[in-house]
Amino acid sequence: MSEEVRMPASPEYHRPRSLEEAWRLLEAQPDARLVAGGTDVLVRLREGRYHPPALVSLRRVESLRRIEPGRAWTIGAGVSVAELLEHRELAAVFPVLVEAGRRLGSAQIRSAATVGGNLCNASPCADLAPPLLVLEARALIASAAGEREVPLSEFFLGPRRTALGPGELLSALRVEAPPAGARATFLKQGRVRMDIALASVAVRLELEGARCVEARVAAGSLAPTPTRLGEVEASLAGTELDEATLARARAAAEREVRPITDVRASADYRRHLAGALVVRAVRALTRPEAR
Amino acid sequence: MIDLELTVNGELARVRVEPGARLLDVLRGPLGLPGTKEGCGNGECGACTVLVAGRPVCACLTPAAEVEGLEVLTVEGLVGPGGDLSAVQRAFVEGGGVQCGFCTPGMVMSVHALLERNPDPTPEDVREALTGNLCRCTGYAQIVESALLAARKRREAREGGDRA
Repeated sequence: MSEEVRMPASPEYHRPRSLEEAWRLLEAQPDARLVAGGTDVLVRLREGRYHPPALVSLRRVESLRRIEPGRAWTIGAGVSVAELLEHRELAAVFPVLVEAGRRLGSAQIRSAATVGGNLCNASPCADLAPPLLVLEARALIASAAGEREVPLSEFFLGPRRTALGPGELLSALRVEAPPAGARATFLKQGRVRMDIALASVAVRLELEGARCVEARVAAGSLAPTPTRLGEVEASLAGTELDEATLARARAAAEREVRPITDVRASADYRRHLAGALVVRAVRALTRPEAR
Repeated sequence: MIDLELTVNGELARVRVEPGARLLDVLRGPLGLPGTKEGCGNGECGACTVLVAGRPVCACLTPAAEVEGLEVLTVEGLVGPGGDLSAVQRAFVEGGGVQCGFCTPGMVMSVHALLERNPDPTPEDVREALTGNLCRCTGYAQIVESALLAARKRREAREGGDRA
């Protein structure tokens, strides 16, 4: 049957309904591949990039799909991007997540793709990573042994490498509601609307009048992992965000990023984009109507 | 092999498939619904768009096992009793939104999903809803026009009360 060849060939496909059930499956088959929305894993399987003995689907684990408001919000790793965008209360508190979520793939992809999958895939271009980095989200990591928490900035170790150990999975994110006076934006440069980011930037500013008391800047597709840009932040913090400051921030961004040349763009162009996007983001956040 | 009970276009179907079988292959194979097309097989072209629980998804990236217990709607399911095309399908015919036709079922399903959520979309809303559907013939202008025509017809039908 020719169709079988084109199926994501995997001998076993498990659908646990609870984490306890998932732990048992992972214990029996430590090399099983976890899959959430499947928009990355199934494509890579089909490309023959890996050959796991089994897939363990997390779609039916309800505890991974919760969104809990609070001073620190809990966003389940299994929440789909479409569900994230439709959560009105969350959208009001974290508009930058909506901005980034809307730029992630197509409607079809957003229906399936999950918040946790976008992060665990650990691609440098993950669209939800820069905004979550500037929100200083913490990753809740669960295993049969219990739960631990790491800052998201320590979750990404390299392209497609995360801090998850054997038998562990990302269960949720914990994100503090930003203080009044803080505002953030996400900008992404792609070739077309639905495209992998050539470069992306999230900027969060805390302003007192015209003065920037705190700046957080994170970048996607500009280093081996999504990453905070400390030099750019330092160039902005404590200033009035005047033109001279913006020029320094642009130069800092161009210096600090570590982009590669690939089929989509050259490292030089990405470096240029880094500076341009940082400046554009700061300008957008300080326009009179943004205040 | 696993046994699945799927609800497709309002009908319950039982199938025996490979554990990782794609919804796309189950629709086109055992269920005999070839309206859903396979283009890229990678979730980029949208030719295989179907609705699962009202949301558009790529059937090529959806394991059939994951839609158990959820409503699946394919382009065949839009056709009314007696073979009447839906307002969206008719609008694509009248608006010239069809050329070779390969992308059409996916386009129609994406537009259907949009109009169920947003009965009065702007052209930009339509383009946004169709970013995941590629067409290599039309240049998209007539597809967007067809979607807007469908929206108008659906609103008129609703305002006119009884659709019959």
